[in-house]
Amino acid sequence: MIVGDIKPLEEIVSSIKGCRRVLVIGCGSCVSVCLSGGEREAEELGRELSDSRLYGGSEPPVLSVENILRQCERDLVNGFQKLPEGTDAVLSLACGAGVQTLADAFEPVPVIPALNTTFLGASDNPGTWTEKCLGCGDCILAKTAGICPVARCAKSLFNGPCGGSQGGYCEVGGGTFCAWTQIYARLKKTGQLHLIHELHGCKDWSPEGRGGPRKRIRPGVGDGAKKWR
Amino acid sequence: MSYFRVNNKCNGCLACVENCPAVALAAEDRQGRRILKHNMTKCARCGQCWRVCPQDAVEFEHLMVSGWDEVVQLDLVHCRVCGEPIYSTVYQDKVIGEQYANPETTQPALCRMHRQRHAAATWRNAVVGRSDRKPRDEKT
Repeated sequence: MIVGDIKPLEEIVSSIKGCRRVLVIGCGSCVSVCLSGGEREAEELGRELSDSRLYGGSEPPVLSVENILRQCERDLVNGFQKLPEGTDAVLSLACGAGVQTLADAFEPVPVIPALNTTFLGASDNPGTWTEKCLGCGDCILAKTAGICPVARCAKSLFNGPCGGSQGGYCEVGGGTFCAWTQIYARLKKTGQLHLIHELHGCKDWSPEGRGGPRKRIRPGVGDGAKKWR
Repeated sequence: MSYFRVNNKCNGCLACVENCPAVALAAEDRQGRRILKHNMTKCARCGQCWRVCPQDAVEFEHLMVSGWDEVVQLDLVHCRVCGEPIYSTVYQDKVIGEQYANPETTQPALCRMHRQRHAAATWRNAVVGRSDRKPRDEKT
């Protein structure tokens, strides 16, 4: 899922300073589950932002708080999310994809992010999320025992660990495991150790998206959309 | 009650069933009738059924914003001083009862405010009881 962190309150306050009416809107998908941008966090942020002391003497905005199932689907946003009258800014607790979808849907009302979108991760333990995937567009997990060296090795190495791997840990510190030590251990457990001898050539980074935003069109799906009729 | 609802424009064309990416919709033709079925645990609430319905029959708002289902009803224990509900009788029996040998004397049914007052009074009585000091409100 997409994991995010709420921005510092001062940054959010400076973004909405001068606004008269702000809609704070949570997202009911990934950021709800990782406890950073769901309905509960939106309500809490709304309460915090109502404190007039944060605005240094100027009038705090009138805040309303709502939540939508998914902010990243434009037709759902257009169809089901209404802007309260007089709203002069929207504060979104969604990931960057959701913020941009709202910005398209609510134009010309400015949409301000309340979250820093941080990574694509998974929850190994309740309350802990770890980065697992960079969306490089060319998955090699079949050869690396289901452990991604692109996302989980600090150097994104493809052919074994570097010299900074010590005792199973990465030299970057902070208790970060060496991805290649983990890959070796699991390949051994699964009887696939021969795979570690396979040399990976230069990775083709073109599917990673540096050539502009990536897009996928599923044939037949869009044809039936509301816009079509 | 299903959260997936259609209005009377539905003509049973099954566009929603065929286009549901989560296989959460199914249809059954039984005894001369077409029955549309929805499985909430499979539903990704992606809105594809609503998008593709040629009749505008899918009332997707019920899957976006809906009411609450009552899951369980339990009897409540109330604060014996002010009557504020504090916990269920089951919680009292299972949790409070297991923690304290004699809940009624060690942990009487009191709300947070009255529990604090009760604790303060117990402490005061204990201190006063141990020493020769007279209670504060008694004038000498």
